[in-house]
Amino acid sequence: MLSRDAEHLYWLSRYVERVENTARLVNVNSELMLDFPGDKTLGWQSIIGTLDNLDIYSRKYVTFKETNVINFISFEDANPSSINNCLIKAAYNVKETRDYLPASSIEQIHNLLNDFKVIRNKKKKVSTANLYKLIEGSQRFFGIINDNFSIGYPFEFIRMGRYMERADMISRILDTLCLSASLNQMHDFKTLEWASMLRNLSAQEAFREESKGEIERGSVLKFLIQNKGFPRSISKCLEQIEDCVSSLPNNVLMKDEIKKTINKNFVAHIDKYDDDKLHIFLQELQKRLIKLDERIHKSWFLLHS
Amino acid sequence: MASNIKDYKTSPFFDEYISASKGFRPHTKKIGKYLTSLNGKQLIEINNATESAIKSMGISFRVYSEEYIEGQDRSWPLDFIPRIIRKREWDRVERGLKQRVKALNLFIEDCYNDQNFLKDSDMDESLILDSPAFKDYCLGIKLKHNSWASICGSDLIKDKDGIFYVLEDNLRVPSGVSYMLENRTVMKRVFPELFQHYGVMPVSAYPDKLYKMLVSLSYSRSKQPEIVILTPGIYNSAYYEHSYLAKQMGIDLVQGDDLVVLKDKYVYKKTIEGLIRVDVIYRRIDDDFLDPSVGNKDSVLGVEGLIDSWRNKKVSIINAPGCGIADDKAVYAYVPEMIRYYLKEKPLLNNLETLLMTKKENRRLVEENFKEFVIKPVAESGGYGIVIGKSASKAEKEKTIKQIKKDPRNFIAQPLALLSTSPTFDKGMIEPRHLDLRPFILSGSNTYVTVGGLTRVALKKGSTVVNSSQGGGSKDTWIVDK
Repeated sequence: MLSRDAEHLYWLSRYVERVENTARLVNVNSELMLDFPGDKTLGWQSIIGTLDNLDIYSRKYVTFKETNVINFISFEDANPSSINNCLIKAAYNVKETRDYLPASSIEQIHNLLNDFKVIRNKKKKVSTANLYKLIEGSQRFFGIINDNFSIGYPFEFIRMGRYMERADMISRILDTLCLSASLNQMHDFKTLEWASMLRNLSAQEAFREESKGEIERGSVLKFLIQNKGFPRSISKCLEQIEDCVSSLPNNVLMKDEIKKTINKNFVAHIDKYDDDKLHIFLQELQKRLIKLDERIHKSWFLLHS
Repeated sequence: MASNIKDYKTSPFFDEYISASKGFRPHTKKIGKYLTSLNGKQLIEINNATESAIKSMGISFRVYSEEYIEGQDRSWPLDFIPRIIRKREWDRVERGLKQRVKALNLFIEDCYNDQNFLKDSDMDESLILDSPAFKDYCLGIKLKHNSWASICGSDLIKDKDGIFYVLEDNLRVPSGVSYMLENRTVMKRVFPELFQHYGVMPVSAYPDKLYKMLVSLSYSRSKQPEIVILTPGIYNSAYYEHSYLAKQMGIDLVQGDDLVVLKDKYVYKKTIEGLIRVDVIYRRIDDDFLDPSVGNKDSVLGVEGLIDSWRNKKVSIINAPGCGIADDKAVYAYVPEMIRYYLKEKPLLNNLETLLMTKKENRRLVEENFKEFVIKPVAESGGYGIVIGKSASKAEKEKTIKQIKKDPRNFIAQPLALLSTSPTFDKGMIEPRHLDLRPFILSGSNTYVTVGGLTRVALKKGSTVVNSSQGGGSKDTWIVDK
């Protein structure tokens, strides 16, 4: 398989998954803000931080008003990870790999992009309903892929891109929550916060089944970081990546790298970590994910770029 | 309203289905009868079925100068009434094409080596040596099986005498063969019953023949040499075909930056398994873009060092660089002479009478009888730049004559050929439309000619422009045994 094609498929998948996760992140935050008694702008500031966009944001806006933040995340051209830019980049990667993709999956990406353009042209604020549409749309894309793609290298690059992106975003979302939690010490709020977090990762039912108990910080953390069965837990994502890697050529160094990451993820007593400690843990994880991405590029794409 | 073929008006042209005096020709009687039995509504139904088959199969093309917009490729236009040629007639054309391409390949190799033809014929040396298609880096090169133009697409027409003539030979990167193959697939879906009644010869061997030809031109000893198709990318008008052929042959479709030439002068492709040596490149980009160190310096389509690698026989490039020298309407005029010169044979296929504008007496003849000629720039393709004397305005005429005088090397004139017609479906009616035919000739260790080829049809009434970029359509081409 050509390195160029592999790289396009990997990024196609990352951008589609990023659209979904960004939409989820905004939804988590919107819901939280509804319950937030204090200064709401603080909450919206943390989400920009999570997305690593403070620099670009502050070049354009001074305050962290909800409309500004949502516009920035959705449409801002200067924001390389705005939903609109992710969709454009996904469409570009689709173009370059159209020979691999089922026609209906290509159509799905174009529909997402076109629908989003319509919202943009109307100059309306992106609503929760719009965000759910995006989540559904990208899920449909992966559904088509999973249903129509034969297992082989192209499929593995798509899968790997998806889980890399997902692991990255879950760790960011968790980090956001840590930050906003430290801004507000009310106990009730925290429970709400974790419940909303679970809901937005479609994890509530799975969590309840698994832990049978009350939704509280420690068990939610353990679930989202270390659960081996739930597809939106970090450890499940890493396991999926490991599985992709094992069926690709040139994988010795990458195998080693992913093994290390998985081991580091299973620290004892993650449920007992306080906010600061958790923040450091998540920052470490972020760094490891960046390293993994670099290793993926070095192993399979670098020849091309 | 003339809704079906009963009201079909035969024209002053040669019609492929109907002779003015005798009605349907013997080999079109059966299908003629069938078409006659259909009413307008049924015809429209068949047409719709054809269109929807093409859409669902995603057979498309793109017109140059259109901005790339995904999902806006045009559906390939196919007329469901096949063009039918008797096998006996085709066999002769096939032999003629093989002969022609053989001579052309000998001529190209001669141009880059001893230049005997230039010495022994009255061809003006400058026609070759000053041509932008003449590549100095090819001098002294001899190729396996003499194969320079390994894939040739020759355009044939039938004049009013009902005889095939060669209009031009496309030797650079001829396209259209995928549509020939897809047309057949569509027709089999839409018209299964017709195929049962006619002994239509299959066309599907082409990808396999192409693959074998490419293998036969490899310098590597491997039985399974590494072959790739080099495309300019998704924005190219023929990208559909590049991707189609790659899939059919099961080989990689690469772009310039997927390849690299290393110090050992071999070409490698960049894959997830590392660098893999490439033995044969079926390139679908023009000479000047192949290698920025030799041709267009700004080209991002090509591969640095590719020409040097080819010159050192580390890689085969198909068609060979520099073969465009014989793809020139002025050189075309000499093909019959080449056949006699190199093969000592009588040409089996006719050329159209062609007047070189470098000759003074020819210029005068054209100027005085402008209405009877078609003026063509020698190096253009796709039907661009052609002036038809009969329909040119006075200003156009004067402008053309001035251009010829200024740059006579760049023009030829041919008497207006009266392209044959065939029944064609247009807006609920069956009417005569003009046609040509592009067969493809493969030259490797063996020579192969497609069974028939791609029939292109001018969909506009009275028009003779068959290019799909300018409103042309196509027909499935049937070679039938009876």
